[in-house]
Amino acid sequence: MDTFERRKKRLDRSITVRCRGLYALNSWREMLFLLAPRLLLIVGLLAMPLFLDMYWQRVMCAAGIYALLALGFDFLAEYVGLVCLGGAMFIGVGGYISGVLNAYFGLPPLVTIPIATIGGAAISTLILSPCLRLRGIYFAIVSFMLPLFGVYLIIALGIFGSTEGISALDTLPNIWVEQYVIIIMVLISLFVVRRLVNEDLGLILRGIKDNDQAVRASGIDITAYRIRAVFIAALMGCFGGAYLSHLYGWLGLSLFAMDFSILPIAATVMGGMGTLAGPVIGAIFLTPMSEALRGFGQLRVVLYSVVLLGFILYRPEGILRYLDRKYHQFERWEKV
Amino acid sequence: MNVLEIKDLMVFYENAVAINNLAITCRKGEITGLFGANSAGKSSLMYTISGIILDEQKKERMKGGQRITVLGEVLYNGENIIGMEPSQRARNGIVLCPERRRIFKESSVMENLRIGGILATRAQARETLAYVFDLFPVLKKLRKREGGFLSGGEQQMLAIGRALMAQPTLLLLDEPLLGLSPVIEEMLSAAISSINRETGISVLVAEQYARPILPIIHQGYVMENGGVVLEGTADVLMDNPDVKSAYFGM
Repeated sequence: MDTFERRKKRLDRSITVRCRGLYALNSWREMLFLLAPRLLLIVGLLAMPLFLDMYWQRVMCAAGIYALLALGFDFLAEYVGLVCLGGAMFIGVGGYISGVLNAYFGLPPLVTIPIATIGGAAISTLILSPCLRLRGIYFAIVSFMLPLFGVYLIIALGIFGSTEGISALDTLPNIWVEQYVIIIMVLISLFVVRRLVNEDLGLILRGIKDNDQAVRASGIDITAYRIRAVFIAALMGCFGGAYLSHLYGWLGLSLFAMDFSILPIAATVMGGMGTLAGPVIGAIFLTPMSEALRGFGQLRVVLYSVVLLGFILYRPEGILRYLDRKYHQFERWEKV
Repeated sequence: MNVLEIKDLMVFYENAVAINNLAITCRKGEITGLFGANSAGKSSLMYTISGIILDEQKKERMKGGQRITVLGEVLYNGENIIGMEPSQRARNGIVLCPERRRIFKESSVMENLRIGGILATRAQARETLAYVFDLFPVLKKLRKREGGFLSGGEQQMLAIGRALMAQPTLLLLDEPLLGLSPVIEEMLSAAISSINRETGISVLVAEQYARPILPIIHQGYVMENGGVVLEGTADVLMDNPDVKSAYFGM
């Protein structure tokens, strides 16, 4: 047999196979095998602030916001089939609602953030709902335009501080509260969305992505389900926006910046499309990276793009899928 | 003279074997039939011969999905083409008429045929177009109609016509009778036979439903679980009791 006649065979680790059943409950070793990666993420995120200085703690807060957006993007793109480039709109709407409530009505962040999250998500969904019939690139274009719409609406009407923005908003009590609010929110969102996509709702949504006509033929109103899905993604985005305005104590048109639409996509690609945890990990890597590259000035964007291109070309499955495979499978050469 | 010779072909989808140690030959200027139930490996074989499988392989690798492994030899006119790009194979004369037709739904019949003839010279295209319209007069009437609005049978005729426009020397027909009425089935198998007779194009036709195809083939193979279980001329196949019971219900 020459070398041609061999192939690398991938096999599940025996422990993986056993863990898929209820047997996992029988052995600590197997439970640990399943829990270890999840615990690593949870404990890692929770412990991270303890090892960072003030500057990087702030950066990680921003990373949390991007993680929420990336999670929403991944959920909509991979499980509902809506490529939503409107991350900036979620941030802007959430940020402006909480900021305005705080500045004009004097409500504390504890009240404004929940109102902005739910109210902002409702408004964003309402704005997006006429475009839910659109598919593919058309939905992406419309959702990409909406943040611009918000910017020029505010400038043209001269409301909410117009181009100046509103400053001196209440901030959260201290850096520890700031960090743990976003970290816990990211973890809750991650595990809730992960659960959700495996429930009936997720089943229907994935069905809509695969073949919407077949879902319609099963007597399901697909627009209603799409609205729900957009609402869920908007909740995460609007929370991020509301949190952001109180993080910096300032709000302005930069809440509608394109970064909020683009960076989550990059994080999703880097982390692995459709893995949900992947985009979160991607955002936690990418945001500090873009900060660390700040020293390079304008070259920053170039380096950033090179890293992304490298990922798309050489590891397109993303970090998480790759790690997952290495964790659950081993390879061996096999004669054919 | 063999136009196509396949030796020791193995195709894996991750750890599952789709094609297992397969060996078939297509003789020049003849119609070779390939019969088998679903999941026998007919389409995988068609993809391997036409090279589409390399494309699938690339796509799956990008997604991090299943790995597709292709091992063995595919000899086309004596040359191993197992690693050749599908576009290059089409240029060399291996043209696939894919399963479920895959015509360009938003282009008109005429446009579909012209896309097929993109590799042909102007004179060849004109000649083949006349031949296709001669073979399938219906298409001539529907020249302006969009591909998506044709009936199943008309779409299949268009797909075969489009494949012919690419000037094949080996025409691969993957399930050309899928979901068609008996009348159209008869008509299409007669057309396949006359294509082979009049132009000398070698044809490899994969089909589940053997009854209309069996009379027109010169040589046939029955596939099961990715391997050949029976081979021979049409008469040999038809006389085989297993084939009779499986494909003719006798």
